Amino acid sequence: MSFLGLDKVGKLFTIIRANGGVLKSLRKLYIYDDLKLGTLVGTDKYGNKYFENNEYFYGRNRWVEYNEKVGIDYDGSMIPAEWYGWMHYKTDMPPTKSPPVAYKWLEPHRENLSGTPEQYVPYTTTPPKIQSWVPPKPKK
Amino acid sequence: MMRMPVTAVLRKVSRVPAVNNARICAFSSAAPEKVEVFIDDKPVMVEPGTTVLQAAALAGVEIPRFCYHERLSIAGNCRMCLVEVEKSLKPVASCAMPVMKGMRVKTNSEFTRKAREGVMEFLLVNHPLDCPICDQGGECDLQDQSMTFGSDRSRFTDINFSGKRAVEDKNVGPLIKTIMTRCIHCTRCIRFASEVAGVDDFGTTGRGQDMQVGTYVEKMLMSEMSGNIIDLCPVGALTSKPYAFMARPWETRKTESIDVLDAIGSNIVVSTRTGEVLRVIPRQNDDVNEEWISDKSRFAVDGLKRQRLTVPLLKNSSGQLEQVEWEDALVRVAQALRSGKGNQVGAIAGGLVDAEALTALKDVLNRLDSELLCTEEIFPLDGSGTDLRSNYLLNSKIAGIEEADMVLLIGTNPRFEAPLLNTRLRKSWINNDLKVAMIGPKVDLTYEYEHLGDSPNVIDAVINGKDAFSKTLNSAKKPIIIVGSTALQRSDAAVILSKIQKLSSSLRAKGQIPSDWRVLNVLHRVASQVAALDIGYSAGAQKIRDAKPKVLFMLGADEGVISRSDLAKDCFVIYQGHHGDRGAEIADAVLPGAAYTEKQATYVNTEGRSQQTTSAVNPPGMAREDWKIIRALSEIMGITLPYDDLHEIRKRMNEISPNLTRYGDAEDANYFAQATELGNLINKPADSSPFNVPMKQLEDFYMTDAISRASPTMAKCIQAVKKQRESKY
Repeated sequence: MSFLGLDKVGKLFTIIRANGGVLKSLRKLYIYDDLKLGTLVGTDKYGNKYFENNEYFYGRNRWVEYNEKVGIDYDGSMIPAEWYGWMHYKTDMPPTKSPPVAYKWLEPHRENLSGTPEQYVPYTTTPPKIQSWVPPKPKK
Repeated sequence: MMRMPVTAVLRKVSRVPAVNNARICAFSSAAPEKVEVFIDDKPVMVEPGTTVLQAAALAGVEIPRFCYHERLSIAGNCRMCLVEVEKSLKPVASCAMPVMKGMRVKTNSEFTRKAREGVMEFLLVNHPLDCPICDQGGECDLQDQSMTFGSDRSRFTDINFSGKRAVEDKNVGPLIKTIMTRCIHCTRCIRFASEVAGVDDFGTTGRGQDMQVGTYVEKMLMSEMSGNIIDLCPVGALTSKPYAFMARPWETRKTESIDVLDAIGSNIVVSTRTGEVLRVIPRQNDDVNEEWISDKSRFAVDGLKRQRLTVPLLKNSSGQLEQVEWEDALVRVAQALRSGKGNQVGAIAGGLVDAEALTALKDVLNRLDSELLCTEEIFPLDGSGTDLRSNYLLNSKIAGIEEADMVLLIGTNPRFEAPLLNTRLRKSWINNDLKVAMIGPKVDLTYEYEHLGDSPNVIDAVINGKDAFSKTLNSAKKPIIIVGSTALQRSDAAVILSKIQKLSSSLRAKGQIPSDWRVLNVLHRVASQVAALDIGYSAGAQKIRDAKPKVLFMLGADEGVISRSDLAKDCFVIYQGHHGDRGAEIADAVLPGAAYTEKQATYVNTEGRSQQTTSAVNPPGMAREDWKIIRALSEIMGITLPYDDLHEIRKRMNEISPNLTRYGDAEDANYFAQATELGNLINKPADSSPFNVPMKQLEDFYMTDAISRASPTMAKCIQAVKKQRESKY
């Protein structure tokens, strides 16, 4: 079997099944350019799913599938801080096993808004050298 | 010396001649023999009475000085100009010592150097070491001269800071910042205030270590020329308040230019940095402003940063002016101008407009068959009107006042309408015994004058010899009559002008006046008027009120002469200029132009002297040079004007009136007799209502045009003057 490479075909079918059928697999392939098999480690409050499969080599063995709502508009910055450490191998303990301390002062996570209408644009704080005339409102 | 009465100053000044070069020539007709003196063994021939310092200057040796100033009386109290004179035991203060025959002066001997070092040491003992935070740093005489002439080591041992002199700062108004600890008591400011500005407010109190320069009681320096003491101060004791801590002189770019806030056309230097005008200082021109400028010219420049028109504006359907692109604005304006025929299109020019823009606008309107081009400032058009140039010029020139022996002012207050003309009058009044008389409201001119009355009927009385004054006038050898353009704003202006013409030609007919001497002079208030009349604009907006044009082009017209009620209801008003003021408020389309510091442009002053401004900074935002806007407009209208650059439009100006491009020259105008004859044709009675001038007091002086109205410094000045008037001093 392995000599002919037929085990790979079997694996393909397993992966397709795990990903929810042909159509859903094609959709994932379209979105992530990749189709993987792994165990679901946890889901964050934004609906991103985190997977692990140590059969893949280090660096490929942990991945995220973003909330389906975002479609192809996903971005690395959508991963919240508590999952960031696990995703980047800073720790092997996912927040599902050791949840972070929920301090009151913590801001809710925000993704990077660059390229969207809400993006941050730097502005000058110095007063303009020349003050323009503002036309008066017409008298009614 | 500091507080002597004017008569004493007079005597003092006449005792020490060589202050005023023009007058030396006048007096030298007696031709005294020249004396030979030796400066550093170099022989120089000088007039007797010249000081050693001036003789050294002729020999090309500059002697260090603090208190000596060419245009002020000699004080001799700083001692910096000490030199060694052979056979004299003590060093001699060269600024006050007249030369003697065969005098041998050593300006660089060991003795001289030691004397200078000693003086410098004494000055520095009581001068703070605050050059790093001093606004004068970089243009400080004390700094420079201590480097050049001071000792190379210090004997100052007071490291416990126990004894350095400290003086309380004085508050002399919103223009001048005083740091009196820095004062070295040169008394230049005192002499300037009492001699040139004519305000005897400054003086000294105490003596020796305790001497202080100040105003005795806390008081604003109420003068329209006060800013000049900033330039005069050799140290940082008097600096500019609006310019405080703004820039160092080596950081700024200096552009030589012309002031346009009055009709004198003072020569100025505009200091700029990073595209921002920081300050204006005077430039020497003995024919125009000597080396002074008025406070408005100097301090109103911060108005160039406020209320500016930076984008083209068009009125939208709800009547609100809205920002548009240049193209949209020009197309809309071109469409409007095209819609009128002949005199349905009019133009009115304001007081700050340059000759290039005036030329371009006239060419455009003439191509639309319209001759309806007016200026805001009125000038009588009856009789010879503005056809003869001599009618509307200050014919005897500003410098000519120093030759005159009698000046009759009619309906003008030169102190505020043209401060630099007034300082000339005052200078001649002090030095040449000039007699001044005035027909008009009684105002403070800083010098004494004979007030003949304020009614135009006085002119008749003077002509007919009924007034006691006419005898004095008739005996004058070089009389000048200066009529203010404010007096010619009245409805009977033509009659008044013809009377003055008659008076001046009757004076000439007496035959004791030199044939090339000009009697009749008109003093204008705004910088653009003479150029506009030269180019062929008709003075006054009455023609526009009569014609009620469908389209009106206002070129910098901000005095509110034309209001909406003067125009047809559906009149399309175009405003082109640099400030959002009265003009832009009533406009349907606004085209942003450049102010005088932002363009290379021609202005003709009241003498008829054409001078050009140079661009120190770029026009702000989308604003462009005025004539270029009109040129672009003409192209869109399909009547492209035949000039593409400054050189070509100046060629066109040269075709219209060659004097416009002869920069620096004031050409003489003639045909006085013909003007008088034509004036005789006017047969209207004069109104007997008294002359009035709009600027009577100092607070009226500061805000007179779009730029100074936008200036916060000028607003502060008015408030300060009003506050000072309430004070008991």
